Amino acid sequence: MDKKAFISLRGMLKAGLMAALTAVLAWVQIPLPFSPVPITGQTFGVMLAGSLLGKRTGCLSMLIFLLLGTAGVPVFAGAKAGLGVLLGPTGGYLLAFPLAAYTIGSIAFPSQGSPSPMRMGWANFLGGILVIYALGTIQLSLVAHMSFGAAFVAGALYFIPGDLLKVMVATFVGLRVRAILPRFKMEEKG
Amino acid sequence: MLKDITIGQYIPGDSLIHLLDPRTKILGAMAFILALFIASGPEGYLILTLFSIIIIILSRIPTSFVLRGLKPLYYILAFTVLLNFFLTPGVEIWRWKFLRLTEEGLRQGLFMGWRLLLLVLTTSLLTLTSSPIALTDGIERLLNPFKTIGVPAHELAMMMTIALRFIPTLLEETDKIMKAQMARGAEFESGNIVQRAKGMVPLLVPLFISAFRRADELAMAMEARCYRGGEGRTRMKQLEMKKRDYYALTLMGLLVIFAIYERLCL
Repeated sequence: MDKKAFISLRGMLKAGLMAALTAVLAWVQIPLPFSPVPITGQTFGVMLAGSLLGKRTGCLSMLIFLLLGTAGVPVFAGAKAGLGVLLGPTGGYLLAFPLAAYTIGSIAFPSQGSPSPMRMGWANFLGGILVIYALGTIQLSLVAHMSFGAAFVAGALYFIPGDLLKVMVATFVGLRVRAILPRFKMEEKG
Repeated sequence: MLKDITIGQYIPGDSLIHLLDPRTKILGAMAFILALFIASGPEGYLILTLFSIIIIILSRIPTSFVLRGLKPLYYILAFTVLLNFFLTPGVEIWRWKFLRLTEEGLRQGLFMGWRLLLLVLTTSLLTLTSSPIALTDGIERLLNPFKTIGVPAHELAMMMTIALRFIPTLLEETDKIMKAQMARGAEFESGNIVQRAKGMVPLLVPLFISAFRRADELAMAMEARCYRGGEGRTRMKQLEMKKRDYYALTLMGLLVIFAIYERLCL
């Protein structure tokens, strides 16, 4: 091939598989005793896409995930799908996924060596919580005509304790998987 | 529990809406959303509501299926309407303790609620009447013109197809890993919240490793079969724009123009 490809075949497949995995995780739910909204595994997908695939491929995999949902595969939490979900009041949390994965990927891959657990944790916190809630709350307040504060209470407050737990689990899992991956010769150059 | 999930909300059929090209339907849905956000008065909403009702009838999808799409939205819908009712400043028409219902609030609340309702009902029709594969194809073809500015249309569609293909496989894998770890004494459905969160680790680590391994195996298999991207690829099912597609697109264009006219002049 004379022209440089947009993405390597391996990168393409990893992004596709990660999008599928995020969809599968959306269906894994843990009910919370103190909050009306359950924990879904979806954000694990976002955090691990960023911290395992890096910013570019991770971001791409989340884009694929959103496109799948737009195409009608019930991949969003609670087996929802469609353009209406993305543009509706709660769509901002989903639309933030690519940016969140990008943020995580850029922090979790230091210029050399592997990231410290602390750095990985920060990456997951900034991308997985800050980016997602900021964009999600903005869209909720815009689409549903609420004040920013009301939107935060309606859409974010109850989720935060669960999400902090998820950040810890995702950080741990991310470090473990990254330690195991080289054994399968999964790392490629370029 | 994971087995109960069916993939795709697509309901096969041969109605006029089903037969439209997926590209027409995607563009049409986008035009409808645009019109919905431009329209501002009762006339505009009336036309858009009539339009939604007509295409829902034309699609011959049972109404119960269409309404099911609203279910996850009940809470947010009620919240939006009530919040607008009581928090919009204006002429007071009803009062109970600290709650003030205003005329402007009543108007705005009803409009906002109605807009969300139409938005979700009509866009869900897109996915009820076209299969995910057809939509993936449609997205690829719609993105094709943007290739010149660097949008990888084929690659995006390919990745979507791969993800689609592997969702059932990975679901099965998740089920298998959960059972395997339960046999080794792992707990997924008991204990307090911290224990449950910790319980996710023995599920997630093998799941991600196995997804990576599959990606690698698939890459090898595709290289062995000389996969080389979208150039020169031929297809069994060709998308073709028919007369009805052009009629439908013209109608959608008129709807947007009407919404703009209504906003500016009425």
